[in-house]
Amino acid sequence: MSIGSNTVMRGAWQDRLAGGLIWALLGVTLVFLLLPLVVAVVMSLDSRPFLGQLPPPSLSLQWYAKVFTSDYIGPSFATSLVVALVAVALNATAGTAAAVAITSGRLPGSRLLAQLFLSPLVVPAVVIGFGLLLVLARLGITSGIGRLMLGHIVITLPYAIRACMASLVGQDRRLTEAAAILGANEWQAFRSVTLPLIRTGIITGAIFTLAISLDDVAVSMFLVDRQNITLPVALVTHMRAAFDLTIAAIAVMAMVFTAFVVLILDVTLGIDRVIGQGLYRSEKENS
Amino acid sequence: MGALWLILPGLTLICAGFAAPLALLARQSLDVFVPGRIGAVEGMGLTGENYRQLLTPAFLGLVWQTLWLGIATATVATAIAMPMAWAIVRRLSPRLRSLMLGLTFALVFLSVLVKIYAISMTFGAVGPFRPVLLALGINPNGRGYIEFVVAAGLVHAALPVAVLSLVGAVQNLDPRLLDAAGCLGAPRWRVHLDITLPMVRPALVSAWLIALTYAISAFVIPLVLGRGRVNFVSNMIYTRFSEIANYPSGAAISVVMLALSLITILLVARAAR
Repeated sequence: MSIGSNTVMRGAWQDRLAGGLIWALLGVTLVFLLLPLVVAVVMSLDSRPFLGQLPPPSLSLQWYAKVFTSDYIGPSFATSLVVALVAVALNATAGTAAAVAITSGRLPGSRLLAQLFLSPLVVPAVVIGFGLLLVLARLGITSGIGRLMLGHIVITLPYAIRACMASLVGQDRRLTEAAAILGANEWQAFRSVTLPLIRTGIITGAIFTLAISLDDVAVSMFLVDRQNITLPVALVTHMRAAFDLTIAAIAVMAMVFTAFVVLILDVTLGIDRVIGQGLYRSEKENS
Repeated sequence: MGALWLILPGLTLICAGFAAPLALLARQSLDVFVPGRIGAVEGMGLTGENYRQLLTPAFLGLVWQTLWLGIATATVATAIAMPMAWAIVRRLSPRLRSLMLGLTFALVFLSVLVKIYAISMTFGAVGPFRPVLLALGINPNGRGYIEFVVAAGLVHAALPVAVLSLVGAVQNLDPRLLDAAGCLGAPRWRVHLDITLPMVRPALVSAWLIALTYAISAFVIPLVLGRGRVNFVSNMIYTRFSEIANYPSGAAISVVMLALSLITILLVARAAR
């Protein structure tokens, strides 16, 4: 009996030590994740015209004003937005159609096709960008905006198709068959039965497409031309050239935008619901 | 018939924008490079020269750098993500749990550019830590420190994704198993080592693999945070294209890089089985 209590005792202080170390590690990690963002916010409010030591002596909004007067941010943001929206539109149509075709079970080799559509996910983006540049140069396509659109569709299409397929696989095929029996043609059945069921998949795909397209550098770097530069490529070029706190102001705007989007997702879809409560947690909470 | 028409637009896009580029890269990597000419020259036959030229200490060093920084950051990110997912699922109040999940979500969606800009300001050579670094005798412009900053960028980007992918596995772990081990007298740390870790092993491997493939194909993180001193293979492809316009060599490096990431994925997938 004394042995038993001994083990428990020894376990107790070791547990407390291990637990304390892990909580300390998590605390440090949280600081590591958030401190850079806080530094960016503080620096973006710096009133000095140069890059100085923290903290700034006084605060100002001058860098935010410069975002709107800068000569490169507006046009490059417009290019990014156009490219991203074209990718969203094409993924929502061509991507959804492909997902419907693959899961319909009426195509031979649908497993192989699904793999082909998802394979850009395992290829480094730089390789896709460089290869695309070679192909388009050979075809004589030199328009920056056209090249960017194709490039962004290629890297986002797998996400859109995957999201769509995930919501299609879960649905009951008898629903579409029922619509057909009731006299609906294929298009009517799709519009009134399938589409409402896979709406979440299409929206999820669109969110991923927007997030990836608006943040891509590796593919775009190869495809931009003088007239059509995306915002991330322009920012990277400026980041490397000079330290300009206008970028800090844009970074803070991006943070606010991201927080806003996540908040909307939380209110509409519910992050807790998306992730789920797991098998055992809910049981505990109900009791 | 209808299904064929449905798949055609997507299939065309994937073939033109993905399959054709990869095929052309493979073909072009065998072309002869003529300095001063953009693109390959027709009718000069095939050569393995572009690959042979990569067998230099400089390029192999680059591959090594990419691999070891990738493995190190994937390991660190997974090792931290595991207790973090555990804490979020099992230790926090429902309110704090929602807050942390929301924060993790936001960090996944936050632009990588924003993260690396913030990191370069915070940990860069003129950041707030400069006095601390100098006091510790660390040169903020030294190669070792720049490698650390690149690794910090990679961990910052990979960690939230790893946490999210582990949260599900931790949630589905039966707490009664752990309680049972505890009742039998095992201390908590033994319970975690003997029961928790083996049970979430598949999720740990896949989180590690996602982080690793992300890190070894990273482009913009080493480009900005590496300050030209620490480069990855991906950066060399871009340099071949933008600075010396050696397309055949760039194509050969692309093929090597593609092989590198596919082999990594296959090896880890096999080891996980």
